[in-house]
Amino acid sequence: MGEWRFIIAAYTITWITLLGYGVYLVRVRKRAETLRDEAVRQLRRGDS
Amino acid sequence: MTGVTIAEPASPSRTRAARFPGFGLIAALVFAATQAFALFTTPPDRDMGNLVKILFVHVPAAQVGLLSVALLLVSSVLYLWKRDERYDLVAASAAEVGVVLTALTLALGSIWGRPTWGVWWTWDPRLTSTAVQLLILVGYLALRSFVDEADRRAVWSAAVGILGGLNVPIVYMSVKWWRTLHQMQSSPSTVDPVYAWGLRLNDVAMLLLLIFFVRRRYEAARTQREAEEMLESAALGRPVPNEAANG
Amino acid sequence: MSWKSDIERVRAVAWKDLTVERHTKANFNSVAFLGALILMLFGFALGADSTALRTAAAGVLWLAVLFSGVLAFARSYQVELEGSALESLLLYPGSRWTIYAGKLIANLVFVGLMEIVIIPVALALYHLQVPDRWPTLIAVLMLGTFGFVTLGTFYAAMASRTRAREVLLPLLLFPMMVPVLLAATEASNALLNGDPMGNSGAWIRLLVAFDAIFFVASMFAFEYVIEE
Repeated sequence: MGEWRFIIAAYTITWITLLGYGVYLVRVRKRAETLRDEAVRQLRRGDS
Repeated sequence: MTGVTIAEPASPSRTRAARFPGFGLIAALVFAATQAFALFTTPPDRDMGNLVKILFVHVPAAQVGLLSVALLLVSSVLYLWKRDERYDLVAASAAEVGVVLTALTLALGSIWGRPTWGVWWTWDPRLTSTAVQLLILVGYLALRSFVDEADRRAVWSAAVGILGGLNVPIVYMSVKWWRTLHQMQSSPSTVDPVYAWGLRLNDVAMLLLLIFFVRRRYEAARTQREAEEMLESAALGRPVPNEAANG
Repeated sequence: MSWKSDIERVRAVAWKDLTVERHTKANFNSVAFLGALILMLFGFALGADSTALRTAAAGVLWLAVLFSGVLAFARSYQVELEGSALESLLLYPGSRWTIYAGKLIANLVFVGLMEIVIIPVALALYHLQVPDRWPTLIAVLMLGTFGFVTLGTFYAAMASRTRAREVLLPLLLFPMMVPVLLAATEASNALLNGDPMGNSGAWIRLLVAFDAIFFVASMFAFEYVIEE
């Protein structure tokens, strides 16, 4: 039946969206941690 | 006025964060399980047929999306009251996750509506107020992206978040009134009780995902703010108020 | 005693907003003309059919007010930004609500005058007849305008101080305008058509409620936003 097209589309979009946001979260975290490591490095350099 | 009070050194929060992916995995598995349950064990609806199964993702997304707006509202109030930047970061995280869930709600509503009513969109109160909700959240994030100074950004966002959050139910009521006067068909608000469990379980699963997403987003935002504060201190040659040397 | 000086400040802020020369952006003539232009463009978009025009007229009029009105709000904060007069305003101890009230009044006058200009244009272009209940219609216009200006004055305080002021103000303001826009349009529409179903009363009451809510919320929030 044609209705399964829509059901599959719905569930696929849901998973893609949620997993996609999960991937984005990993990237954002990595970016923030890189920034922090850089900041710590700069501070250490400043102290010495 | 200072921003983040970096009370705890970096290491404990890192181990706490390290435990959290476990939570994410659990949440994802729970979600998969509840979805499978809803998808395969529930009967087709009298009127909608199997299309009712779309509601098992659409309704939880809508409800948890609304929950993130509530979280935005509460965090914004708390920020203006306590002036603790952490509340501002929670609010921002809630808004971002809210955008994802709200957009998903609209997409799923559209996908459900097309075979059910023959149209990709109706101006029914819930769908319409959800669309406005999305715009309010996007506006909130846009404001944040255009304000660079952290304190100003936090205060302005809180004010905008509160007004925006309060507006969501107001919009819903006004569109509902608008529709009744035009005597349009409203979408079926009652779903057969046989689906109640499926909906409830998926609600819980979606809620777990919300908690995971907001928490992760908050941590990243927090780390970023810490970094920004340290960079600022380094640039100004000021002594740093935290345990930055621990790394 | 401080009540009197507060009122005086409100008056001073409003007067300055209305009279000080602006170097760029929107002066009254341009904004009013833009409003009329928008009415005309909508006319083209809708086509020459008289029925379609009359059906859409109320909504289009309000949209014209919205699109040209945002320019008025941005303008309201422009002078302070150019001359850093905002800091001097804030140096005076005491209630920030006087700044809000003063700007609100100035914006009400500005947008109100603009409406007086473009309403005859709308009447002509959209084949409208002045309804019997035109005083009520004027009340609806004033109420809708108040809701619009209340929120606009608040959001412009922030948007005009960011990099993306032209897009940020509508982006923030228009979603908030949905309730007021719905109520004002429905009430206006009903009154223009002789109110066959007697709906206008309900919408007007709703409009008053919205105005009250948004006015209180905006004034309260303005205190936080003008300081930073």
